[in-house]
Amino acid sequence: MANRCSALAAYYPTGLHGRPGEPGVKLQEIPDLSLWQIAGWPDTMELIHLAITDGMNSDRLPAGRALAGSKGVAFQVEPLKFWLLAEAPPVFKEAHGVILDLSHSRTQIRISGPEAQTCLSRLLPLDLRDHSFPQNAVASSGIHHVGITLWRSELGFELFIPRGFARSIWELLLETAEQFGSEVI
Amino acid sequence: MNTRRLPTGGQINRAKPLEFEWDGKPLAGYEGDSLASALLASDETILGRSFKYHRPRGLMSAGVEESGAIVTIGTGARRDANVKATSQALYDGLVAKGQNAWPSVRNDFGAVNSLFGRFFSAGFYYKTFMGLPPFEWGKGTGAWMWYEKIIRKAAGMGTASREADPDAYEHANGYCDILVVGSGPAGRAAALSAAQSGCDVVLVEQDFALGGESLSRVEEADTLSQELAALRAAGVRLMENTTAFGLYDGGVAGLLERVTDHLSAPPQWMPRQRFWTMRSRFTVIASGALERHLAFGNNDRPGIMTANAAKIYLNRYGILTGENIVIATNNDSAYLTASSLSNAGACVTLLDSREQILNSSQSGVQSTGVDVKSGMSILNAKGSKGVYSIDLAEKSPDGWRAKNQMACDLLLISGGWSPVVNLLSHRGLKPVWDSVNACFIAPDHHEPIAMAGSAAGIWDHAGCVQSGEKAADHAVAHLHGQRAETSNKSGGWQTPIEGLYEISVSGHQHKSFVDPQHDVTADDIRLAHQEGFVSVEHLKRYTTLGMATDQGKMGNVIGLALMAEALGKEIPEVGTTTFRPPYTPISIGALKGRNVGSHFRALRRTPLHDWNLNAGGTMTMAGLWHRPWYFAQPGEGIGEAYVRETETVRRTVGVCDVTSLGKIAVQGPDATEFLNRVYTNPFAKLAVGKARYGIMLRDDGFVMDDGTTWRLAENNYFMTTTTAHAAKVMTFLEELLQTRWQDLRVHLTSVSEQWAGIAVAGPQSREVITECAADPREVTDRALPFMGVIETTLKGNIPVRIARISFSGERAFEIYTPSDYGPAAMDMIWSAARVRKGCLYGLEALGALRIEKGHVTGAELDGRVTIEDAGLGRMASDKKSYIGSVLKNRPELLKDDRPRLVGIFPKDRREIFNAGSILCQNGNVSGYGNGWVTAVTHSPALGHWIGLGFIEGGHSNWIDREVVCADPLRKGNTPVEIVSPHMFDPSGERMYG
Repeated sequence: MANRCSALAAYYPTGLHGRPGEPGVKLQEIPDLSLWQIAGWPDTMELIHLAITDGMNSDRLPAGRALAGSKGVAFQVEPLKFWLLAEAPPVFKEAHGVILDLSHSRTQIRISGPEAQTCLSRLLPLDLRDHSFPQNAVASSGIHHVGITLWRSELGFELFIPRGFARSIWELLLETAEQFGSEVI
Repeated sequence: MNTRRLPTGGQINRAKPLEFEWDGKPLAGYEGDSLASALLASDETILGRSFKYHRPRGLMSAGVEESGAIVTIGTGARRDANVKATSQALYDGLVAKGQNAWPSVRNDFGAVNSLFGRFFSAGFYYKTFMGLPPFEWGKGTGAWMWYEKIIRKAAGMGTASREADPDAYEHANGYCDILVVGSGPAGRAAALSAAQSGCDVVLVEQDFALGGESLSRVEEADTLSQELAALRAAGVRLMENTTAFGLYDGGVAGLLERVTDHLSAPPQWMPRQRFWTMRSRFTVIASGALERHLAFGNNDRPGIMTANAAKIYLNRYGILTGENIVIATNNDSAYLTASSLSNAGACVTLLDSREQILNSSQSGVQSTGVDVKSGMSILNAKGSKGVYSIDLAEKSPDGWRAKNQMACDLLLISGGWSPVVNLLSHRGLKPVWDSVNACFIAPDHHEPIAMAGSAAGIWDHAGCVQSGEKAADHAVAHLHGQRAETSNKSGGWQTPIEGLYEISVSGHQHKSFVDPQHDVTADDIRLAHQEGFVSVEHLKRYTTLGMATDQGKMGNVIGLALMAEALGKEIPEVGTTTFRPPYTPISIGALKGRNVGSHFRALRRTPLHDWNLNAGGTMTMAGLWHRPWYFAQPGEGIGEAYVRETETVRRTVGVCDVTSLGKIAVQGPDATEFLNRVYTNPFAKLAVGKARYGIMLRDDGFVMDDGTTWRLAENNYFMTTTTAHAAKVMTFLEELLQTRWQDLRVHLTSVSEQWAGIAVAGPQSREVITECAADPREVTDRALPFMGVIETTLKGNIPVRIARISFSGERAFEIYTPSDYGPAAMDMIWSAARVRKGCLYGLEALGALRIEKGHVTGAELDGRVTIEDAGLGRMASDKKSYIGSVLKNRPELLKDDRPRLVGIFPKDRREIFNAGSILCQNGNVSGYGNGWVTAVTHSPALGHWIGLGFIEGGHSNWIDREVVCADPLRKGNTPVEIVSPHMFDPSGERMYG
């Protein structure tokens, strides 16, 4: 099998950048994204919920929140659409909804470290304060007019950027993070 | 003006001296100094030249309203003009110089303008443009072309650097419960109280030091650091060097943070300035008040400043600004300043225009040695580059009368105070006139905003603190959905202020400035009135009052008062102009943030972007995408490269990155019905494993886009669109589903980013595909016929979906692979093509190939073209209803003489003609002509230039008629021949073969 080639492959300057000292921001591409879109119909949403949350500790996906389980992480991106970060898509009857592989459509970048929140606020018009955007919060927003999806995982802020724009936004992130001292992992 | 730094006192760090340069002269100051205070301490008193008359100007204030000390900071690419020395923090190595003067602000040849001052009065430009009466009346002056250059050179103040800005800037987004603007006593009280109530508070201060008025009040300065510590402990986010420049809808405040403007060696990783969009649920405006000047003779001379400025220079910077000081006032606030200056060793005379002053006020200052003269003011200041004496004026029953002279070296003015209501005014609220306090204050309103401190017209310290706490209560109540008391009561002086704006005596003519930044005088205001400009908005524009960089902070109220007097009205009847953002100037750099250079727009790269570059591709913009334009070989330019690429595709095989085409997944049990409704041609019976070319119309019957749609499974389609219209098509289709056809079970998802697209075109394209396919049997002519679709894998287990479709007119395939596999798939396909003497081709060759075939693209489908116009009328079904099917049959759109798609050959096959030209009947080149040219190319297949375009009635209407391609601005007329748009292989043998 041929290897997957990241959108950031040509520009991934690992190491420390900008302000000396302990890095305030860590940036990391999470490679080989496996992302499924599951879309249901108004009268099959409950069944879709059940299929997606199989193996998770709840059968409801609250709006704006991700739900994690042994099979992956799921969150709602549109009224009738969900994203599932998992190796394999869920199983349900064809009449209940449709599945789409979007694994190559987005580049996942994790931003972590004590200044991650501040760094992101330089680019994202989102209220990322802990009480407004706690762990597992999910939102759709924009960076430099490019639509992105943001999920706050236990490891940091996970940005899902349309692949074609990923390099451009990555460059902006690296530039912005320098003031905090950054490390590309 | 005898200034000196006192041995003690002030908020400066005397242990840390700083060196700086003023007009080439090395000087020194201390950490904590502003540039203004450091210049003052160095006895530099002439710091600028006025706009029109080039009069010498010195410091007039100590804040953002400064209209005298406007200087240029920095050198080379970092030269920054029109900086107010009063707002600029001193740093080691700072280089500053005067502006609008030659050779220097101390000795400026431009001062000769003063001799012609009477010709530069209000409306100078307007009158100049009118022309020389009576010869040029009504048509403007012809001489304008001569003196325009001189006027343009004379206009403006400093000059910006012509070099590219080397600094970085950035945008930031902030959120808080309560935004407090101003760190004076009221602002601090509000912030602390709100934070202690559990609110998330941000406090912004435009100065480089926190404290506001407290920085210049000795008794408060000592406790300031403790108060600031308490604010930090309560969780208040303190932002100094940050100006709230505008208030907008939804609690949005615009902030400008000057991140490194106060540093001598800014770290390269720091942005110079940061443009904040701060979203708060409530705003407390504690932005203070600005002390007003008075209009009197020569009131702009160096050595004349506001009384409060002298207090700030004394108590904050430890500088005594004069030895023999006269203060002219109409209110109580100057008394404290008088006492402070007297205590510091100056001889102080206080002229109070009020005849009745409370004894307590008088006795307070008299005990410190201040000589108080009531019912007195200033008529005229004497001196040129400084003040050495003044003419006094004394109240008389009918106004003022001239009195004796009085020597002094510093003249301080306190003409009352104007609360800074600008931010509230940004919300569309007109300030109201408070006649008791002689100032504009905030009106009653229902915005989530509270005014506090002197911004609310409260003058005493205790009252300010109390108003801050009250504003915090208001804010907290608002956050909890409760109503609270909204306004603080203005006032706080023992003796009421007297409304005083100008002191003049008949027979004493002097220049008396109202708006010193634009050299607007009291006479200019009266002239405007005489000439009929009686509306305050007209007054502003005619005289330019309030239109300089201070936006009327210094002179607006005086100007309004003078206009009111001329009109015989009261100030509130005259009204006020509207304050608009920004409160203080903002650099263009901060507005653009990081969206500059390569990030001016986000660049969209295909998965093959780097592959194309490594293969020698030259890229071109296609929307936000970068697409390969051509792949030049050594010695080739674009002209040679695309012709070679076109020839190679026709002869062997070519490979092209076509990822930028729009791609939409159409899924669901009603997907077939949906497609049948949006395409003009039938889709109901498209078999699985087949693709079909389709045309989409808009509701109005014009063509919106074209593309192919592939049926991958019963309920699963893969639609491609043009690069240009991908987003528009996606949006329109989604709108149809969400608004008109909610009953259809269809989901649309853009998968443009999911798939890398590679076109393989040419007679040997099948051999290339066969060599790459994991199972060659799947791509035989039988297994994959024209318009056939398969999902399979290439060698290396690379998943692909392939359709045999052609844009070039050759046997061709479009191969889509998941984006991350794009480079691997391209490596394999290109290896197979290269050994067959194939080529990589770009957008230019793609264009040549499609023009030869008469295939339309965005250049032709420009929104004015019907399906018939495009020559695709046979694709419009008359057996079904679809979007646009009704309105496309409007009589106007069915006319035979509408412009139709045609091919164009030059009569003389050696000739070249241009896209964008108009097509006209020979001998009648006029108006819009009979048609237009949309695309041209050199056709290697035909051996000459060809074009596509539209002409009335189409090809059949112009057989044997003489037509010229008219290009009057570039090439002139070229005789052309109108031919069928299918200029190469019209039967399609090469494509189907």
